[in-house]
Amino acid sequence: MLFQIAWRNIWRNKSRSLVVISSIIIGIWAGIFILSFSWGMYKNNINESVYRQLSHIQIHHPTFGEENNSKFTITNTDEKARQLESDGRIASVSSRVISSGMITSPTTASGVKIYGINPASEITQIRLNEYVREGTYFESGKENEILIGAKLAKKLKVKLKSKVVLTFTNINSEIISGAFRIGGIYRSKNISLDEVNVYVHQKHLRELLELKPSESNEMAILVKNEEQLETIKKFSVGIVPRGKIEDWKELSPELSMIIESFNLYTYIISGIILLALTFGIINTMLMSVLERIRELGMLMAIGLNKRKIFIMIMLETFYLTLIGTPIGLLSGWLTVTTLGKTGINLSMFSEGLASYGFSSIIYPALDQEKYVIIVTMCLVTAILSAIYPAYKALQLNPSEAIRKI
Amino acid sequence: MAKTIIDAHNVSKTFNPKTIPVHAVQDVHVHIEEGEFVALVGPSGSGKSTLLNMMGGLDEPTEGTVFIDGVEITKLSENKLIDFRLHNIGFVFQSFNLIPVLTAKENVGFVLQLQNMPKTEREKRVLALLEEVGLKDKINSRPGELSGGQQQRVAVARALASKPKIILADEPTANLDSKSAANLLDIMAKLNKEEKITFLFSTHDQRVIRKARRVITLVDGKIESDVEQTPS
Ligand SMILES: Nc1ncnc2c1ncn2[C@@H]1O[C@H](COP(=O)(O)OP(=O)(O)O)[C@@H](O)[C@H]1O
Ligand SMILES: [Mg+2]
Repeated sequence: MLFQIAWRNIWRNKSRSLVVISSIIIGIWAGIFILSFSWGMYKNNINESVYRQLSHIQIHHPTFGEENNSKFTITNTDEKARQLESDGRIASVSSRVISSGMITSPTTASGVKIYGINPASEITQIRLNEYVREGTYFESGKENEILIGAKLAKKLKVKLKSKVVLTFTNINSEIISGAFRIGGIYRSKNISLDEVNVYVHQKHLRELLELKPSESNEMAILVKNEEQLETIKKFSVGIVPRGKIEDWKELSPELSMIIESFNLYTYIISGIILLALTFGIINTMLMSVLERIRELGMLMAIGLNKRKIFIMIMLETFYLTLIGTPIGLLSGWLTVTTLGKTGINLSMFSEGLASYGFSSIIYPALDQEKYVIIVTMCLVTAILSAIYPAYKALQLNPSEAIRKI
Repeated sequence: MAKTIIDAHNVSKTFNPKTIPVHAVQDVHVHIEEGEFVALVGPSGSGKSTLLNMMGGLDEPTEGTVFIDGVEITKLSENKLIDFRLHNIGFVFQSFNLIPVLTAKENVGFVLQLQNMPKTEREKRVLALLEEVGLKDKINSRPGELSGGQQQRVAVARALASKPKIILADEPTANLDSKSAANLLDIMAKLNKEEKITFLFSTHDQRVIRKARRVITLVDGKIESDVEQTPS
């Protein structure tokens, strides 16, 4: 009977009930949307960093990382790369020679990080070729060809085929200059890196640095299945015993910081939504209790005990939640699956985002587990918010309430 | 000798004892026996509602004791009191007697359900009660669809449903036109006679007072007179 009364009671003031129901729907929908959006962004960001920049694993000379000095090398990298690549779990391997220096155009100069790459192997590693916007990807056949970012080209006021000079120190600490001709201009999704990373032929840079043939500063590995990352790291130790082997999480502490800040942001937003939900429900249910003081007094007079009154008010909120939750869940899920396919184009803001390494199209996604968390949180919030109004109803003194009759 | 239903001993009620004390009821003795049909009369503010609430266990006297059918209700805990009311006292108020979302039938059945009466027995009793108050054709109407007089008749049927020791009615006819008021009083008188239900009702309507067999008059919270009369 209480169930029936509570159910009918919520339809006495339809518009008020609809307000509560829709705030639950909006709360759940917004929670799902925000979580899936940040998850999509975060996933995007990781993929962008891993597949375009870091690779899954990098191997360096143990002291290379501290100084970024080209003289700390791994020897015999061609052979080691072949050995690694022959393993079925590894998708691709590439080696790089790295130096930092200065790039000079007829008008200005700028600090750069010079990568000596093997153009062919990077096609399957960081896929730099896909980013070339002008010119070609090392197709001239000339050893002094250089690929620079669009941002840097603009800064240096240089064009395709312009001549630039790279200045850096070789392993014997002598200052070296080399003239290069711009063969291609690239534009990646990470504008800040576009300004500093320049790419030249590995063999040529190696000779300028006076490194021995097949000596490199960095080996990068992409694995086929990320779950095997740990075992492949162990396997790599066997091939490069003296190398420092790091995976992408170790290589980029910024990335894990971004993930954490996303999580925090998610909690804050969900907290705000739930708080709004709490106040909405407390307010409306309190109103509905206060409006019914005389009726509640009469119910107590004729023998409805306080426990039952409490249950009745709680049931009313519970029913409203029960109506709102599936609708919110369904609309949230539909939004995520639809936008997960089409993506959300943020190109309006992409200039800013790209400089943080984000792609401009976000594909929202959410695991089942997160849906469960959101729904549970909303349900718990709704029920908790009902307690105060129900408790208020218990404080009624029947004779006082009835006196108002 | 008839059984005592209400036995109130030097009952007093003072509101706001610490600020501006209002002595709503002062040192009242009331003794009512089974089968009586009593009107509690007096001008507005004389303490009728306060006295009825104390006898029904809705309010606690500042002083004195109230026995209902031998049980000292002024000693019961709040929850025990609610349960006691459910089984022993029927209430009819001036208005807001019924649960608006329930039909007449469901409203009357509600107290029986709280008493866990089985469904078939309950349905039978509810129909009989509604027939007795002349609302057989309104069993599925909600309070909003009934006239004021009809609503009060449903309230009487509801008060009667749990077979209480006594029905306390606080100005049950105050919102009714004279025809409906007379009709309600006739039904109450009939139930009193046929079913031996004890009634104590407050009123200040002369036509209603005439139907009572005993009239207790309250003035300024004190009993001024307590007389038997022949109803007319
Ligand atoms: N809760 C209360 N607080 C203060 N005064 C009250 C309260 N209830 C009733 N009174 C006062 O007690 C007196 C008796 O009131 P009441 O019993 O309602 O009289 P009646 O029902 O005869 O009109 C009145 O003076 C009224 O103002
Ligand atoms: Mg009164």
